[in-house]
Amino acid sequence: MDRNKGWVMRRFFNVLLATALVFCIRPILIAQTTAAAQSPAGPLLSLPLRDASIRFLVIGDTGRGNSEQYELGRVMFNYHSLFRYDSVLMTGDNIYGKETADDMKKKFEDAYRPILDAGVKFYAALGNHDESNQRFYEYFNMKGEEYYRFEKNGVAFYSLNSNYMDKRQIDWMETEFAKDKSKWKIVFLHHPPYSSGEKHGSADSIRETVEPIFLKHGVDVVFAGHEHFYERIKPQKGIYYFISGAGGQIRKGNVKERSPLTEKAFDSDLSFMLVEITGDEMHYQVISRASATVDSGMITRTN
Amino acid sequence: MKSVGKCYSVLFLVMAAIQFRADAQSTVPAMAGLSSQDRMTVADLEKRVREYTELRERLELELPKLSKEATPEQIESHKTALQKSVLNARAGSKHEDVFTPAAAKIIRTIIKSGFKGDDRADLRKTVLEAENKGIPLKINIPYPEDKEFVEMSPTLLQALPKLPKQLRYRFAGRNMLLVDRENGLIVDYMTNAIP
Repeated sequence: MDRNKGWVMRRFFNVLLATALVFCIRPILIAQTTAAAQSPAGPLLSLPLRDASIRFLVIGDTGRGNSEQYELGRVMFNYHSLFRYDSVLMTGDNIYGKETADDMKKKFEDAYRPILDAGVKFYAALGNHDESNQRFYEYFNMKGEEYYRFEKNGVAFYSLNSNYMDKRQIDWMETEFAKDKSKWKIVFLHHPPYSSGEKHGSADSIRETVEPIFLKHGVDVVFAGHEHFYERIKPQKGIYYFISGAGGQIRKGNVKERSPLTEKAFDSDLSFMLVEITGDEMHYQVISRASATVDSGMITRTN
Repeated sequence: MKSVGKCYSVLFLVMAAIQFRADAQSTVPAMAGLSSQDRMTVADLEKRVREYTELRERLELELPKLSKEATPEQIESHKTALQKSVLNARAGSKHEDVFTPAAAKIIRTIIKSGFKGDDRADLRKTVLEAENKGIPLKINIPYPEDKEFVEMSPTLLQALPKLPKQLRYRFAGRNMLLVDRENGLIVDYMTNAIP
């Protein structure tokens, strides 16, 4: 009986000790996690930050005009002082809902005002929530075209309209790619040719049309949106695909678990991509709303 | 007797597999596959589309030209002005002025014969899950700004009668709309485009 009593007492003290430990250690753990995520010392960078490199951001599905979009906008601006990017690629759904002058200000201009004032240029692709008239909007730099090309020091950027890919656009793509001698060919569009999203998934009909053209003409990297999360896809036939669509609202837990397509995914908070191209290397770092780095790496051009 | 039955079963399975493969590989028939009567109908549709486009182009020329680096105010004002002048000019227009019953029938056939099996299921899924329910089936009203545009399958766009760049095919549920990309007006519509 005494032996049993002793055993019960020991068990009681063990449980008490464990509980006390959990209560003591938990706040420390939480504090450390928060500190790492929020980086109170300021934004952390691990890109090479080489002279004369090409630097840009990639964001998508931004145009909500909500507090989350504004918070992410502030983080994007924080990184400008360190990363000195001069352009931002927008992967579509730039303005949700109405597109009056007031909406354009609330859902775009005001959210990114400090970045615009710093002289950074935004380049937009059209999403399924975007009116075609956005192609005339001064800050989207589309020059009146739903699909267009621009170049920066040997890097060619192609913005495609995946919402309405008619023969006119397909012919334009073929012609432009065929005469393009740029070292890097980067495409950005709204609907992802590959995706592990529960809600949308891969845009098969778009992929069937564009992938053979991309392969034929040596496209290196494709940035898409539509899915409200970040995903880095395992290279597909030598092309690197990224989804950066968490610029205004997150679709939490929407990346399919154990998807064979996923190399890395982040679907628990808003995010944007920092990209730096130098020579044959493209470095990327993905930043969350809490200024935490959620993915980073480097790819080498093979085409 | 038992082996004959087994043979029929195998034959049935093989035929089903061939049919499934044919369905899966089917492509949207090119316009070349249409009868001469159908070709005349398509030509008539293209003429009606052209008439609309010429009208709206003429009206747009009367407006201040929209800069390629416009402010939101300029874009909004241009859109509203173009809407207004097109609506005035088309006051007497009716449903089926462009998508005549004969043209609508051809479009239904193109979609039906081009999208079978998984392709049709995918098309229906994309279209029916879109956040654009409740769009009124009415001409000369703007496509609601708060409704998304369903992405159009590139394969389908290549099979449908070609449109000038000012006009767009748009799905609204199973229905197909003809929408002006600048002023947003629904020029015409047809019901039950997707089987």
